[in-house]
Formats: sequence, C-alpha cells, structure tokens
Amino acid sequence: MSTSSPSSELAIPLHVAYIKALGDNKDDLAYHLTAHLRLNAIYWGLTALNIMGHKDALPREEMIDFVMSCWDDEAGGFGAHPDHDAHLHPTLSAIQILIMQDALDRVDVHRVVQFILSLHQPSGVFAGDQFGEIDTRFLYCAVNALSLLGQLHVLDEAAKERTVNYIIRCRNFDGGFGSVVGAESHAAQVFVCTAALAILDRLDVIDEETLGWWLCERQLPNGGLNGRPEKLEDVCYSFWVLSAMAILDKIPWIDADKLTRYAYNDHPSSPSVNHAQDLEGGGIADRPGDMVDVFHTHFGIAGLSLLGYPGLQDLDPVYCMPAALIEKMGLRKPWKALERRTA
Amino acid sequence: MPALVPASSQSSDDGDLLYSERPDWNDVTPLPQYEDPNPIAPIFYSPEYKDATDYFRGIVKTGEKSERVLELTESIIRLNPAHYSAWQYRYETLLAINAPLDVELTLMDELAVEFLKTYQVWHHRRLLLMLTRKPAPELTFIAKCLQTDVKNYHTWSYRQWLLAYFNDDELWSGELDYVEAMIVDDIRNNSAWHHRFFVVFQSGIREGETDRSRIVRRELTYVKQNISFAANNPSAWNYLRGILDFNDLPYSRVEDFVKLYADASNDAVRDVVDLENPPPSKGAELPCPAAIEFLADIHEKEGRALQATELWRSLADEHDTMRKKYWEFRIREGLKS
Repeated sequence: MSTSSPSSELAIPLHVAYIKALGDNKDDLAYHLTAHLRLNAIYWGLTALNIMGHKDALPREEMIDFVMSCWDDEAGGFGAHPDHDAHLHPTLSAIQILIMQDALDRVDVHRVVQFILSLHQPSGVFAGDQFGEIDTRFLYCAVNALSLLGQLHVLDEAAKERTVNYIIRCRNFDGGFGSVVGAESHAAQVFVCTAALAILDRLDVIDEETLGWWLCERQLPNGGLNGRPEKLEDVCYSFWVLSAMAILDKIPWIDADKLTRYAYNDHPSSPSVNHAQDLEGGGIADRPGDMVDVFHTHFGIAGLSLLGYPGLQDLDPVYCMPAALIEKMGLRKPWKALERRTA
Repeated sequence: MPALVPASSQSSDDGDLLYSERPDWNDVTPLPQYEDPNPIAPIFYSPEYKDATDYFRGIVKTGEKSERVLELTESIIRLNPAHYSAWQYRYETLLAINAPLDVELTLMDELAVEFLKTYQVWHHRRLLLMLTRKPAPELTFIAKCLQTDVKNYHTWSYRQWLLAYFNDDELWSGELDYVEAMIVDDIRNNSAWHHRFFVVFQSGIREGETDRSRIVRRELTYVKQNISFAANNPSAWNYLRGILDFNDLPYSRVEDFVKLYADASNDAVRDVVDLENPPPSKGAELPCPAAIEFLADIHEKEGRALQATELWRSLADEHDTMRKKYWEFRIREGLKS
C-alpha cells in the first residue's frame, strides 16, 4: 500500500489527486454500491480539497448540476443520489456543497425548511426521513442546515427548548452522549450533540470538564483516538473528538504530537504498516495498513487542520466547513483549534 | 463493503435470470438511472444491480405494491443493504398487501446477521416489531447477533429500544442475568456496562426493586468485584462513578476500596476476606491510573487540596503522561479553590 520511506508529512498533492480521481472509477462496483452516500461523499471530497487549499480542483458546474439532480421535488429535500428519496443528511451535504461553490441561490429555501421541520419529532429529536429513523446525528443535520440557510429562527423558543432537552436526555452517566435516549456514549454522537448545542447557543447545558475528560480519555497509548472505551482507534475519531474538544476549548488536553505521529508516521515496530495515508495512490484510511476511502480522507485532514498542521486552511468544527466561509456568513461560534504551525 | 450476492441466490425459481429476462416481469417498464450521460453519473458495472434497480424505478413509478415487489426489493437489499428507498418501499408493500410479518421477520433474521452494521436493517425491524408486538423472541435473536459482534452499537441500541418500548416486566426479568453473562464474557465490554446502568438505574423501578439502597449496595459490590478482577478497566471505573453520581452519594464512601488500587504495591496481607474492599488480583498492573484519579477526586471533595494535587502531579508526570495537560488543569483549578 505504501512505501517505507520515513516521512511525517501529509501528502497533500497525492490526496488532491485521489479525490479528483474518485469520480473516474465509474466501472467500479464499489462506486455504485455507495450511491446512497454519493452526495455526502462529494461534500467530504470538496471540504477536504478546500482545507488542502485546492477548492477548485473539481469542475464546479458539473458538481452543482449533480447536486441539483439529487433534488427530490416531492419531498422538498435532497437525496444522496438522483432518484433517491430526500433525507436530512444529504440535504445538509447539498447545502454545504452549494455554499462552498457559492451557489446557495439554487436552493428552494422555503421548501427545504418545510422538509426539515416536518422531521422534527415531539420528543425534540429529528428523524432522518419519512422512514422515521431517529438519531442525534439527524438533529445536528437539521440544526446545521437551518443555520446555514439563515433560517434557524424558524425553530421557535418551544421547539428549540425541546430540541435541547432531547440532547440533555441523551447524556449518560459517564458524561458522554449517545445516538438516542438510553444509547451508549460514542464520540461521533458527542460531536453532533456538542456542535448542535453550539449552533443553538446552549453549550451551558454541558458539563465541559467532565465531557472534556471523557473525550481526552479516547486517546490510546499508541496515540490514536477511539470512539468509546476499549474500542480500536480510527482516524475519523480525530475529527469527532477534536472538533468537540475545539468547541469546548479543550484541544490542549489531547497529546497532538502523539496523535499525528501515530497516523502519519512510520511505525518502527512494524515497518510494513506505515501511515494511515496511502503514499502511492493518495487517500487516508481508518488506521495504518487499511484501505483508504474519501470519508476517512476528509476526517483525517479535518482533524489535522484542527491540530494546526502547517499548510492547511482553517476548518470550522461546528459546521465542519472552511472557517473563512462560516466567518463570512456571520455564523462563527466560539471554538478554539491549535495554532497553525509554520512548516 | 456489503457482500455481493447475485440475484440467483434468492428463493426464486428463475435461477440466474435478470428481471429483464423474466416473462413474469414483462409488463413492467424498467427505468434506467439517467436519460442523458452525465460525467458525474455512474456506469453500472454489475448487470444484476442495474437490472434490479431499473425495475425498482419502474414499479415505484407505477406505484405497484405486490408479492413480486417483495422479491425485487429483497434482491436490491441483498446487493446493497444501505439502499434505504428499497427498504422504505418494501415496508409500505408489506403493509399494503398484508404480508405475514413473522415470515418477514425470519427473513430479516438472516439479513441482520449478514449486515449487522447497517442502520436500515435495525430500523426495519423496529417497524415490524411495532406491528407484531411479540418482543420476547427478539431478545434471543439480539443475543445471537451480539455473539458475533459483542459491541455492535445498533444491536445494543435496538435491545434498549425494545425493552423500553414494550416495558414489560417479563421482558425485563432476565435482563440483569443477560448483561452479567456478557460482562463475564468480556469484562471490558463498554456496551455491556452501559446496558447494565440502563437496566438498573434508567428504566424505572420494577417490582422487587423498590429498596433502592439495597440495589445501590448490590451494584457497588458488583462493580468492585469486577474491578478486582481487572483493575485497569475504564468501563468499570466509569460505572462506579456513575452509581455514586446518580444516587447522590459521596465518593468518599469507597475511599478504602480505591486506595487499594492507587498503591503501587499489592502485598497487604489479608487473612480476612473483605467483601466491601476486594483487593486487586495477583498480577494487576498497579497503581491503577483510574484509581489515582478517583482518589484525587475524593481528596478534592473532602477539601484535602494538597493530597489531590500530589496525586494529579503523579498522573501528569508518571502514570498518565498522555493527559498531562488535563492533569495540570486539575492542579490549577484545585489551587484556585
């Protein structure tokens, strides 16, 4: 998978090429078996390109056209792929992509708002679609999307209150948050709950020290981060954990050096297992030695940006979007990443 | 990556035929993915998947809800269990044709084991259970799934949903035994510990459990015993904290116990077995950082700032250097008050 030459560098040009080539493998069965993630995948790819400073690497018009071809006119939202039913997650991805492409005017804001609101449950959580699956991930997608559209105010005080209360009910005895009330604490769910509360300006309901502690406990002796106790580390947790910690201004509690070295350096004990990044074909995997994919490529780079890796653009951890854009939109919430290092 | 299963492996008499080759599907107009070629549009590699999804689009357009639609959606789900439109349409079809849901559940049993990490599999099951209202066999089924993947997040979450939704005393009655068996199986299974807390403290009070102080004593004994078996187990220490926090009990209540684990040595002579304070097992790696942390918290709460600081210092410098910055934060905060 990779060479054995020692390196602690993020191979940006390789990853840019990897992302650009993603759409080329249309003969690959894997490509269309992941159709249900297509819009999300484009968002992951585009955000990673932005953070690496190559925001124009993919053809803009084609991308916008594709996004619009995912519009489900019956439901008033976006599906992950043309002909797929609208769902909150790809709807958020569509909005994020269009913002990054400066084409938000293509969205029928009113209809999307109606779609999002229709998924708001009495308990305060959001369903992902009319199928009814509920998860705090969808709560985050809803709140994030409304905020990006400048429509957060459509949630009146009562609606906001019950949304916040649902998150509170998802808090477990260890201080973490789960996917639904009663579910185990998990770093990804901690991220979505924390970020949603940040957007709603309700971080006051979080016990920051306990949650910060639970999050820094995710760091394993090898330096990598896991999602819950006694589970394996995974590069995507670099994002879930670090972004939540950035929002709580607790990133210094993570040993950044050890984390970076774990994911992106050679391992003296197993020379054949190198970086989580593929130094031949580009892309980043969930852990050193495994196959790369665009999901882990995005979250790996996002995590590195939050750690102040030189040569990367700032990422807003609340919205998981380029920080400059979020700032321009007047949406920046309090958060703190590590200082960007010079090479 | 889901396993590739050709359409021919289903219970159809038509062997390897694509839907386009089957006379009994003659009346349906398959709809291809795109009218015009689009650079970002995929070219389907697998003829089976293209065929099945073309026909799916065809019957969605006509709104057909029939037995053969069940066959078709099953084909798609087997090829791609994350195709949520297929799941959604399948569910609607089951209802529309009044299909026997226990047959559906049996089919789902097979798919769930194969596609454990797919949300849709579990969500579909929830919808079915809300209609069949026969939760007891589900516990056995869930246990079987957990055998192959003991920490599967969706599976445990589904179990919690099932118990809470039906909230039947009989359903709950075997649960403590079940979670105990899971912990015996893997003492470090965080999902199991979480589930135990859910069962004991977060699902109401059932008959026979009204004496809460007895329950608390039982749980304290249980977790301490498990810490003595495996000292460096974050789930167990979190559980211990959880019991005390949730029941508003002072950490100092377990000070003697915690001290046994915060010490580097384990050579106290013990002639009498102290059930309240089971010591670390032989070979335990001591001192246990979680115990040092716990003891520091006890000192802090009891106003013994210097002792707390000493312990945090030892964590920062020696026993948990990875989280040095966190421990130094605790020291600073401690000095403030």
